[in-house]
Amino acid sequence: MKAGDPTGSAALTVSDVSKSFAGRPVLSDVSLSVSSGEVHALVGENGCGKSTLIKVLSGYHEPDGGEVRVAGLPLSLGSAKSSYQLGCRFVHQDLGLIDESSVIDNILMNTGFPTRLGTIRTGAARRTVAEDLQRAGLSIKPDVEVGSLSPAEKTGVAVAKALRPDPDSEAKLLVLDEPTATLPEGEVTRLLEMIRTVTANGIGVIYVTHRLGEVFDVADNVTVLRNGYKVATEKVSALTRPELINLMIGHELEEISQEREAIHLTHGEPTLKVGGIAGGPIKDISFTVRAGEVVGIAGITGSGAESLLSTIFGGAPRAAGSVEVNGAQVRAERPDRAMAAGMAYMPPDRKTAGGMLELSARENLTIGSLGPFSSPFWLRQASEKREVKGWFKDLNVQPPTGAENQLGTFSGGNQQKVLFAKWLRLKPSVFLLDEPTQGVDIGAKALLHRQLLAAGEEGMAIVVSSTDMDELVALCERVIVIRDGLIVADLRREEVSLSSISRNALGTQAGGSV
Amino acid sequence: MSRGKINFGFDRFSGLYVWALFIIVFGALRPDQFLSMDNVHLIASQQAIAAMLGLAILMPLACGAFDLSIGANVNLAAVLVTILQVRDGVPMVPAILITVAVGALIGIINGFIIVKLHVSSFIATLGMASIITAAQTIVTNNLEPTPVLSTTWTGLTQNTIFGFQAIFLYLLVLAVILWWVLEHMPIGRYIYAVGSNTEAARLSGLRVGKYTWISLIVSGAITSLAGVAYASLSGPSLTFGQALLLPAYAAAFLGSTQLKPGRFNVWGTVIAVYVLATGVQGIQYITSVQWLNDVFNGCALILAVSFAVWRQRAKVERGTIEEDSGGDSPISHAPGLGDGKHPDGAPSVGGTAVGAIRHEPSPDAG
Ligand SMILES: Nc1ncnc2c1ncn2[C@@H]1O[C@H](COP(=O)(O)OP(=O)(O)OP(=O)(O)O)[C@@H](O)[C@H]1O
Ligand SMILES: [Mg+2]
Repeated sequence: MKAGDPTGSAALTVSDVSKSFAGRPVLSDVSLSVSSGEVHALVGENGCGKSTLIKVLSGYHEPDGGEVRVAGLPLSLGSAKSSYQLGCRFVHQDLGLIDESSVIDNILMNTGFPTRLGTIRTGAARRTVAEDLQRAGLSIKPDVEVGSLSPAEKTGVAVAKALRPDPDSEAKLLVLDEPTATLPEGEVTRLLEMIRTVTANGIGVIYVTHRLGEVFDVADNVTVLRNGYKVATEKVSALTRPELINLMIGHELEEISQEREAIHLTHGEPTLKVGGIAGGPIKDISFTVRAGEVVGIAGITGSGAESLLSTIFGGAPRAAGSVEVNGAQVRAERPDRAMAAGMAYMPPDRKTAGGMLELSARENLTIGSLGPFSSPFWLRQASEKREVKGWFKDLNVQPPTGAENQLGTFSGGNQQKVLFAKWLRLKPSVFLLDEPTQGVDIGAKALLHRQLLAAGEEGMAIVVSSTDMDELVALCERVIVIRDGLIVADLRREEVSLSSISRNALGTQAGGSV
Repeated sequence: MSRGKINFGFDRFSGLYVWALFIIVFGALRPDQFLSMDNVHLIASQQAIAAMLGLAILMPLACGAFDLSIGANVNLAAVLVTILQVRDGVPMVPAILITVAVGALIGIINGFIIVKLHVSSFIATLGMASIITAAQTIVTNNLEPTPVLSTTWTGLTQNTIFGFQAIFLYLLVLAVILWWVLEHMPIGRYIYAVGSNTEAARLSGLRVGKYTWISLIVSGAITSLAGVAYASLSGPSLTFGQALLLPAYAAAFLGSTQLKPGRFNVWGTVIAVYVLATGVQGIQYITSVQWLNDVFNGCALILAVSFAVWRQRAKVERGTIEEDSGGDSPISHAPGLGDGKHPDGAPSVGGTAVGAIRHEPSPDAG
């Protein structure tokens, strides 16, 4: 292989790749090429085939036809080993980490452990992993279990793992499938920074995202897929955001900003009262949410914002304080009681806490309450199927006839829609949502937001915790900002803005608007 | 449930194909013995106990827990129900009820250790098995009890109906009940949910510990019923139980590759038991070498599972996973004992069957 020439030479060429699942085409003659040192964004609606294309590159799926070359050498299709040896590295949508294992074990999984006489050299392993983590800008201990990390930290570990140098096979192409879906602003910036470093070393990058802002931030070129067809590859500098959206969905989109202004929510009685709760990073948090209110929770990683809703609901332990729904106290760590009191909670992590990926979409959607179609001795599946079909239609879940398929076979965004329906159908009086629109495309995001606001109009109290500040600004009339386990700002109406949220979250100008 | 189209899929029905193959092969070799009604009846009742045990462990497995105490439990039940009648003069029905209650009690204790003391089900029930064996020795003094002689007692399982011994009918009734519970009652759905992803189930408001506990009580009770049936069918023995443990698990896991791949399911388990039994019986007509049976059992198990796993993997790789199979969805990863294939080359949680090995129920019963 010839060295040098960091840009220009092709890191990856994909020619006419097709793939179908049971006769349903998911990729149709897709071609694309990525030069060394280029960041190539891959965008498109949920279920358009982005992850499938990436799994073809990683050798997980064998395509029905087509050719893939990495740095000029042909990939032996369907072989994960060939993909790795040719220099492809991946951060998959579900990250591909093992929650039960330590960071060390996860990072060294591909390249193997340093050994002496067949024995693992624990010290050396810890040192090299510490280096890898540092390179990825992470300050976590190598020994901790991956399951205990925040989504942002998990993404970091997956990136560190992908970029770990391997003397036997030099990295040529780094592929990131929605790495920022649950990352807060600061960490997105850091990740993009890291990507720039990677490309400076002559590695080509494929970057999948639904956050179009990032496309304009980091990508050189962008390829748009729609229904498995390539619509276009364009230079990012020659595109505007509306043009890009038009390419993705085929028509103009009224962007989601300020949907709340369309609806005037009237606030009712206090529905949720959180009194001095503590647990984990949360030190002492109290607030009240009224019926019909849509409240946002913001905060950087480690502030306590990411575990606040789980603690309120009873998913995470609560060390102190009280939670009251409609005047009734809810016990700590009792999701069943919380639900009986009228709360619902959509967890941030589909794989570990949100979804049962081996069960069908139908079974996932209805598990929260089988009441409407069952007595203790009979679950009437016909009426269950009817309800599920309705939700598939309402939320435009793709494929529309897939209710009996395993949840794991749905695209990431469509899984998210199914789980959204799972909770919304319970018509809770308090709806807590952690990263509700992660991995959801912009059209679907607007749809989910409208559903939420409509629920709010009917008197549901809604609390949304999101690392996507645009989402908070668009959706919430009130944003509570958490820092170091405490509330540092309770922004209302016109105070809610990107700048006020991030200023308070970072604490650069303390006490601004408390 | 309606199936849109006829499916000749080897993966879901491989067991039935193998079964047909056995019948054709052995039928051709030994037509007069093998293709007789007597032979059908013989196989049906011989394997009923093993099938009952396979069903007993189904609920814990679906829930993500192992019950390894069934071998000792079934043995204790057979001995206990005999001793109660012969030595203590307890009438038949109360003796059976007491025995089943003891089985359920074992389940309650298993559940307590797993749910409340947070011991893994593997360890808890393994330890329990040893304790049960000790209890049996205390009860029997290590002397094989005299069998109950009344014909009502032996007739309980040996009377024939349509040529089949009653035991086979009991098995069918048990299977139908369990099938209904797992497939058509809310509790079955909850149990599969807990087995699939404990944390997601807990956050969906399910009392995870409760379902684990219930499933262990059910397996304890069914196991002691199987023990009662054994005592009536063959008389008590001090040691038969442990030999049934492995076949029960083999049947349940093999069954999880059938009909509803990736899920422990009732009819898959029953089919698995009888496919193996048919093969064993056929071999017995051809040769009297005893060890051939064991070899056959082992090979059949390994071959059948690897075949199903291979089919599944090939399907995933070629992407011919069915999109719309109507009733039950095939799974995307290799089920049962196969290792899942992850996009990253890392192992993944495969079907619910693999899930059984991976998720320990989280400790929160009320
Ligand atoms: N193993 C599978 N079996 C059957 N269908 C599948 C499988 N994997 C993916 N699909 C289908 O292929 C289509 C494309 O999925 P893919 O995951 O590539 O979408 P995506 O573009 O990554 O979407 P998202 O933005 O939601 O992540 C979807 O309709 C999905 O249901
Ligand atoms: Mg995807």
